[in-house]
Amino acid sequence: MSRITSTAKKAPAMKIENSKAQMKKGVLEYCILAIISRKDCYVSEIIHELKEAKMIVVEGTLYPLLTRLKNAGLLSYRWEESRQGPPRKYYTLTETGTKYLDEMDESWKELVEAVEWINQKRTPH
Amino acid sequence: MKKMVSINLAGKLFHINEDAYQMLSSYLREVGNKFSGNDRTEILQEIELRMAELFSEMITDKQQVINEGQVKEVIGILGDPKDYEGAGDSHTREESSGMKFNKRLYRDPDNRVLGGVCGGLGAYFNADPVLFRFLFLIVFLVFGTGLIIYLILWLITPEAVTMAQKMEMKGQKFTFEDFKNKARSEYEDVKNHFNRKKGTGHEN
Repeated sequence: MSRITSTAKKAPAMKIENSKAQMKKGVLEYCILAIISRKDCYVSEIIHELKEAKMIVVEGTLYPLLTRLKNAGLLSYRWEESRQGPPRKYYTLTETGTKYLDEMDESWKELVEAVEWINQKRTPH
Repeated sequence: MKKMVSINLAGKLFHINEDAYQMLSSYLREVGNKFSGNDRTEILQEIELRMAELFSEMITDKQQVINEGQVKEVIGILGDPKDYEGAGDSHTREESSGMKFNKRLYRDPDNRVLGGVCGGLGAYFNADPVLFRFLFLIVFLVFGTGLIIYLILWLITPEAVTMAQKMEMKGQKFTFEDFKNKARSEYEDVKNHFNRKKGTGHEN
């Protein structure tokens, strides 16, 4: 970690916040699919969980992503009335979505292993 | 006493004060500008749903009218319009960079000596109106033409009557000019999302 910050100081064009955001963005799709795979969710539930996990700070990022996943046929939704407040849009994984998630699971494992393998060889400062 | 409007967010009725309405409306428009076509409709619908939910939680018997503070809070939760780009397609970014707001020259009725021309010029150039009054006076006294120029400006510059115009005059981000310039379809779109009903009420 200390290595990353020290290079960031030398090159101000490379902002650590940006890099962090990029990292999170990459796995955000995966997290959304994972959350919905457990049970059908409406947007607020997804948001709540992602915020709790500190995956997102503002909600804005989520909406275009949901629309994209839905357009790609990974998600579908249904409407349900709610006792108070507006009706809720419940998202559910489609068959394609489930297969997609399985592959993402694999890919995630590989990624974690790869990073760990590389980090093992790193000598701490 | 403040003017209040009724809006329809995702099928729910909300009362909101005029300033807060302008803020909300401009926020939705800015976010909407980041997307196009079907995506736009869906994303805006999603946002409206969420807003309706958040506002429902905020409203109490004592505080039934949504105010600017609450709109700010909700916008804070949802995030700045530019945050929406991150997850969207890469090309949405270019479109949005083309969006800018214009400042327009108006006559300022709240800051006038004669017609409010100098007040408006002051707002436009972000300078003290006294400077312009002084300039006009000099040009009048020295060249004798100051008054004519002033009268012409008075004649051709519209007065900032509505709040939107006053915002525009000061260069704040409520460009209703967008409304006029954008295609008819988009106007309809915004109207659908924001069924503004006429309504005036009291708020303490």
